[in-house]
Amino acid sequence: MTGSDLEALLSSASREQRSSMRVAILYAILAAVSAVTLLGLSGWFITGAALAGLAGVAAVQAFNYLLPSAAIRLLAIVRTLTRYGERLQGHKAALLTLAAVRAGLFQRFVGAPDLSRASGDMAATLLQDVEAIEDRFIRTPATLGSLGGAGAALLLCGAAGWASALALLAILIVTLGASSLLARRLLPAPARQIQEAIARLKHDVVEYAVCSAELVAYAMRETVEDELHGRAAALDRVRFAFTRGEAMLAAFVTLMGGVAMAAVIGLSDASLPVTMLAGLAAAGAIEAIGAGVRSIGRDATVAAGIDRLSALVARTPEPPLQGTRLPGTRITIGTGAGVIAMQPGDRLAITGRSGSGKTSFLSCLAGLQDSCALAVCIDGRPLANCAAQDRRPLFALSPQDAQMIAGTIADNLRLARSGLSEAALWDALATACLADEVRAMPQGLMTWIGDGGTRLSGGQRKRLSLARALLAGRPWLLLDEPSEGLDVATEQKLKDNIIAWLDRTQSGLIVVTHRPAMLALADRQLTLAG
Amino acid sequence: MRATPPSLLWFADGAAAIAMAAALACAAHFGISAFDRPGFLASLAGLIIATILRASVQLAATGSGQKAAVTAKHGWRRRAFAAVLTAPAGSRTMLGEQVADATDRIEDLDGYHARFLPLRFAAVATPLLIAAAAAAASWVASAILLGTLLPFALGMILAGTAASRVAARQLDILGRLSGLFIDRVRALPIIIGFGAQERIGRHLAGATQEVATRTLAVLRIAFLSSAVLEFFAALSVALVAVYCGFNLLGLLPFPAPERLDLGRALFVLVLAPEFYLPMRRLAAAYHDKQVGEAAMQRLAALPSPLPEPSPALAPLLRPPAIRIEGLTVDYGERHVGPFTMDIPAGRMTVVSGPTGSGKSSLLNALMGLAPATAGDIQIDSMSLAMRSLGGQASWTGQSIALLPGTIFDNIRLARPGASDADVADAARRAGLLAFIAGRKEGLGTRVDTRGSGLSGGERRRIGIARALLRDAPLWLLDEPTADLDRQSVDLIMHEIRKASAGRTVLIVTHDPGIAAMADQHVSLA
Repeated sequence: MTGSDLEALLSSASREQRSSMRVAILYAILAAVSAVTLLGLSGWFITGAALAGLAGVAAVQAFNYLLPSAAIRLLAIVRTLTRYGERLQGHKAALLTLAAVRAGLFQRFVGAPDLSRASGDMAATLLQDVEAIEDRFIRTPATLGSLGGAGAALLLCGAAGWASALALLAILIVTLGASSLLARRLLPAPARQIQEAIARLKHDVVEYAVCSAELVAYAMRETVEDELHGRAAALDRVRFAFTRGEAMLAAFVTLMGGVAMAAVIGLSDASLPVTMLAGLAAAGAIEAIGAGVRSIGRDATVAAGIDRLSALVARTPEPPLQGTRLPGTRITIGTGAGVIAMQPGDRLAITGRSGSGKTSFLSCLAGLQDSCALAVCIDGRPLANCAAQDRRPLFALSPQDAQMIAGTIADNLRLARSGLSEAALWDALATACLADEVRAMPQGLMTWIGDGGTRLSGGQRKRLSLARALLAGRPWLLLDEPSEGLDVATEQKLKDNIIAWLDRTQSGLIVVTHRPAMLALADRQLTLAG
Repeated sequence: MRATPPSLLWFADGAAAIAMAAALACAAHFGISAFDRPGFLASLAGLIIATILRASVQLAATGSGQKAAVTAKHGWRRRAFAAVLTAPAGSRTMLGEQVADATDRIEDLDGYHARFLPLRFAAVATPLLIAAAAAAASWVASAILLGTLLPFALGMILAGTAASRVAARQLDILGRLSGLFIDRVRALPIIIGFGAQERIGRHLAGATQEVATRTLAVLRIAFLSSAVLEFFAALSVALVAVYCGFNLLGLLPFPAPERLDLGRALFVLVLAPEFYLPMRRLAAAYHDKQVGEAAMQRLAALPSPLPEPSPALAPLLRPPAIRIEGLTVDYGERHVGPFTMDIPAGRMTVVSGPTGSGKSSLLNALMGLAPATAGDIQIDSMSLAMRSLGGQASWTGQSIALLPGTIFDNIRLARPGASDADVADAARRAGLLAFIAGRKEGLGTRVDTRGSGLSGGERRRIGIARALLRDAPLWLLDEPTADLDRQSVDLIMHEIRKASAGRTVLIVTHDPGIAAMADQHVSLA
């Protein structure tokens, strides 16, 4: 997905929330206009009152004080209510838009999976960057509202004469233009460098943490800590540069506020009350566009986030399954005399020392990995010519790490296939020798197993993973060390159950193991040299 | 709450605001009569000068806040880095959390120290300063400002309590959603393997939608407190404006408590919004507070940094005899042991066993880096609990720590005083010379944590060169020849055997060839 694709996703998601966004913008404009008018009108009122007071009783009698004083109170209330409405509607539009974007991003990501990057860390980055975009949506109404406030101030300044109004217009343009130039000069580089510095620091912390024993052995810890502090100081420096850039933008707005006030008052050719009205409104206008300027400042962070998100989902989606689906009726491993040819229902055990590539062979077959050290053909086609998504429907893998999703036992089992009945789940659990334990749990199938299944023991997780693979109903079952963490009696029972299941379903089996009981599942054995 | 430089600068921002208001009031004062043009213009110049002052103060305050954050973060990093570098080796899940503590959690403190703390002081002190300045012009207006504080405080307590209750719930909801996302991305292999993309995607879409709706319900209440703040900020302006206007007109419905003029009235009017500004700024930093406090809670649980144990306390003067008795290492999610074995002084012992049997844990335990829950290790009949082997062993582990610098410098880290000739000799014996012959800079090739293109074998050889250079009475080697081919293994083992003759050597390996060289071979079940 390119950056414009991501923008397309964003705009299609935001289209549905257009009405909320419009209401939010309307509220924002009302809030900004009433804020500007409140200050301006108050200044006009006080000045007018002072002049009338000086001019004597007749002037006081003639001064209409009821309308402005009522308007001042009304504006105070309108400002409060509209700002509340703006925030609520703005957040509504942003939250619902980004909810759709998050889901859309996930869909696109799994549509073109890059398994090498599927780590929790990456997911966290993804969340952070989406939050930055959410922030941009939340700020949109206030940014547009501030322009409304500026417009109102220009109108009020018009009463003070052309010179004042033109001066304010020029100052507004200069403020926005210079801020955006300044922001583009000062912020994008540090925003990017902050992310790089954090990534670098994290990388180094991990690198050194895994060497902790060596650091102790050679008394290197303090040297390494100094090195890490140096890295962290580099991060602090770029963060400082970024903060300073933001602060300069804010200070610039403050400065222009004073300049605008002085210019409008100085150039006014109207009466003193109108002059004060214009001056205070001008200050209000600059304060209002401060929100817009802050927004400009944040854009650097948002842009960096969008770049990262685009890169993350930058792969073209896998083409949908074509008619040439593999039947998976013949699998050959190796070449020449030692070749192993497997027909449906055949059972093979793979052994070999750790690091000999047993696990990666299985994940290769299952379509989770593309480079395989062994010469494997499926239906006569070399593995390299069988697309990963064509291989996946052939194999049900119970991986070595028995990966689980955070959810219930049923959630994890139902991952295998859609439309599974409860009876089927119990059946699979019984085959995997886990049914009794699950039945004993207070909530049975609905038991929450924690993040990554941490509330289960290693052995339970293994068997749950096996049950899930059984439920997938694929022609080939791939098991990686299925009996790890089991006692001998359960292991024997598990072996008998798996054999009975294989006999019944006529599924093929490839099992990676070094345990004798599990070797007995297979009629043939392949030892990887590594 | 302490007055730190950044908080005082934010306080000074209030003083600059007063100067701006005064300049404006002067302009209005001189503006009444057409003859005071110079005074009018001077006031406007004063206004601009006060604004320049205010902008500079704001710039300085932000910078100073960021400096304070750097200082605070440095203090936390000292603890977090030490903790992560002395953490029990061998537990990946724990490592992930510790790395997050040492990086992300510390970055979470940034806004707390840079913005929230300085603004918290200013939120209390600046309004009082503004009220005092306003009192000089109109004590009634000042009283109005202060008077709105009471209902404001009541409103904030009511709305704030409700808001903080729902804010905590919101954090919880959002946390669970991000947890769900992280979980599903991590579980991508099984999701794809079972073709469950559609189903999981639909589930996630439903969950995000639900979270958004629930968050909105929460925000309805959470925004009340900012509405209260907003309302009193607007109300104070309105009340001051109306009071001043009626006072100037002489139309107050009660006897006028003071006599105002235009300058005084405008002065207090312009100060009115400044009265609530610091509190609004603080409210904007509320997120920084939440994130920072959560991070601090986690970081406070880290142990205080200990200095590296000095080998001078109980130096190894000769090759030690080591006795391991009933040692059990417990990582929480799994445990290994108990181990019992004798490692004779001055001999080579090889330990082998299947993956997960705890071979590496044994070596880490000797370095004091394994969470041992039972049993004991004795060095020359003295418990390891009483002494440390830190800085006293020749070590080669699964991973090699590389510091930015040359390969030469990196080898020398094992024995900082070593002569150039000794370092070069160790490199030669570890077989590094042949390896780096292809590199222009040779041993002067610069490397860093990313390895700079070093292969696994080259890294491994740097580790071996360190062990050879260090030449300690005790050698602890974890799979010293992994990543190396058969011929190199033989050459390297020959060097190790020669150099470590007479030392106490403990090697952990799968390689039966190395086991055959040992004086003693221990097999772990």
